[in-house]
Amino acid sequence: MALRAFSSRLPAAHYHSGIGLTKARRTQRRLIIPSSRFFSAEAVSSPSNLVQVYISRSTDPYLNLSIEHFLLQKSHPDSVILLLYTNRPCIVIGRNQNPWVEVNLGLVNQRGILRQLRASSESGAQEEGDAVVKNDADGVKNSPKEVEVREADADADDVLLVRRRSGGGTVFHDAGNVNYSVICPPASFDRDKHAEMVVRALQGLRKGNVRVNERHDIVLDVPPTQPSNTSHDVDVTMNNMDGIRTFKISGSAYKLTRTRSLHHGTCLLSSPHLLFLSQLLRSPAAPYIKARGVESVRSPVRNVGLSNAEFEDAVVAEFLRMYEDAAQDQLEKNGQTSKIDVEILDETVVQDIPEVRAGIAELRSRDWIYTQTPQFTFSSHPTADDPRPRPDLPTDLPSSFFPTNAEHSGSADAAPVPGLRMTVRHGQITEVVAPLSKDSESHGAKTPGGENNLADSLKNLYLHHVDDWRTYVGSENESVGRWLNRLFGAGS
Amino acid sequence: MASIARCLRAVRPSTVSRLAQTPRMRSNWQANSVRAFSTSPISKLSDVAILQIQAPTPLPVHIVGEYHTARNCCGDIRKYTKEHEWVDLNADQTSGVIGISEYAAEELGDVVYVELPEEGKELVAGDTLGAVESVKSAADINSPIACTVTAANIALEDKPGTINQVPEDDSHGGGWIAKVTIGEQGRKDFESLMDLEEYKAFTGSQEH
Repeated sequence: MALRAFSSRLPAAHYHSGIGLTKARRTQRRLIIPSSRFFSAEAVSSPSNLVQVYISRSTDPYLNLSIEHFLLQKSHPDSVILLLYTNRPCIVIGRNQNPWVEVNLGLVNQRGILRQLRASSESGAQEEGDAVVKNDADGVKNSPKEVEVREADADADDVLLVRRRSGGGTVFHDAGNVNYSVICPPASFDRDKHAEMVVRALQGLRKGNVRVNERHDIVLDVPPTQPSNTSHDVDVTMNNMDGIRTFKISGSAYKLTRTRSLHHGTCLLSSPHLLFLSQLLRSPAAPYIKARGVESVRSPVRNVGLSNAEFEDAVVAEFLRMYEDAAQDQLEKNGQTSKIDVEILDETVVQDIPEVRAGIAELRSRDWIYTQTPQFTFSSHPTADDPRPRPDLPTDLPSSFFPTNAEHSGSADAAPVPGLRMTVRHGQITEVVAPLSKDSESHGAKTPGGENNLADSLKNLYLHHVDDWRTYVGSENESVGRWLNRLFGAGS
Repeated sequence: MASIARCLRAVRPSTVSRLAQTPRMRSNWQANSVRAFSTSPISKLSDVAILQIQAPTPLPVHIVGEYHTARNCCGDIRKYTKEHEWVDLNADQTSGVIGISEYAAEELGDVVYVELPEEGKELVAGDTLGAVESVKSAADINSPIACTVTAANIALEDKPGTINQVPEDDSHGGGWIAKVTIGEQGRKDFESLMDLEEYKAFTGSQEH
């Protein structure tokens, strides 16, 4: 059973025991339940539980998303629910995104990658792009078959890859990022409503320059005079007329079902890894891929500079303030006086719930992570559909990747477009146009059937099943294999 | 699609005056209809749209009663769910077409991706038929009736925005989601759905 693998060796430093009860007026109204005695399908769907607040103490992103999905599906249609959780380092892509475009899989698949990135950053060896830690650096590279194991005992310096069920773009989570999630009836759903709730919570913590922007994200406006040494700014910051720089601190995504709506969002509080986001989230394959579905919008990010406990406390208080009337009604009905329980969820309790277990299994499956990818095409050269100029190709690729005019005009059976093109549907290569092996000096004349070996060997492959492209492309195309390994983050 | 219903409030232009010049038969929702068709090239308008232009009465709210059993060119009857899907049942009640309503398409905002069902998929009413993504929101599309999918609208994979332009067009180039075959249970389910008049009243009530 997958859940048994959840480790109790997780770093405990950033978990506070209970909620930071810093403001007396809030403590009046809240009772901290130390374990989730009441967390079950029956309890969450009870009409007497119309306002529910949970804080998960698991750091497993698959588990936390599955708790959330369980609440979305099982909670009473009229109820309003807040769930807060903090994940160990992971990259979370949107439901309809392409991991080969969004994520530098070669980096992300390395054990202890964050440790390596920090080390190379501290030693001053920082360079641009994926040159900082190459795929064949000293980190142990995992073959896809080992990933299940890796996920099971992921340490704090690994980065997990997660595909969530909601829409939107790719985000990075770690222990310095708290996620909030509000599940409510569709009638009261509004894309900004609960982002505004979080803004009020932040403002209450003296973070005044935060607001919800037109993309339903929460951003922080930094006046020109304020020094920016409290955080790592990635990408180029936006400058407006007043010299105010704007940073994203929180991203939103939504899931709508027949009876319920879910809004969840991140909030960067104190992540030490912001410096590395552009490396982790920049795929070397992206310039070659034209994908259907959703592409991320890059934004400069920054930490708010709060502890997780302060933030959780403030968001819970703001949520209860919003739904106070409903909460009071519920309490009166239950014969209680003044408290909405904040339930602390831990792994041992929720893993007994069959729906949560099934949800985790689905989210962790490579089928969900990879084959849910919308169709895309990979083209080594510009095409009519995707005319972007491509990066320079490795010079050791076969000559068919570098056609000359003479070759085009002189040979009747020359491919109209040079290089390699693949159509990938549900993670599987369904069509290939591969270069003909015309390197006469090395191969001589080939039989017509042999000329398309590359295409034949690539067709029907699942991208995420390929440990090492060199084993599929044949020795005469080893350079192609190395190139594909680098682009798709395979090989060792 | 339920969540789309009353919640994803988009800012809508005042359209009353334009509506008066855009009489239409199948409109479920006034502002939406104007946007849907004003952004569509005329060549993309379906037979339905052409009928709508020819319909004589200016305010759809008042005309629906006369038309709610209207059939399109093929003799189909259209009904709606509270979750804002529509289903056409063909004349011999063995097959149909499913899509999302103009109201839903408007409320969702720009659709950027459509997840389509596999051919052969068997569904009961309320099962997830597919999903659409718009403005960071993944929304389920549910099957209005028990049915078996015979074809999905593959064109939406390349042009998901068609759903915004002509969501209730069941012709080639339209925004329909799936074609289905229907059995006894499907016909029974169909009976319980809302006709246009009822749906219009339903979406009208959700507006306030």
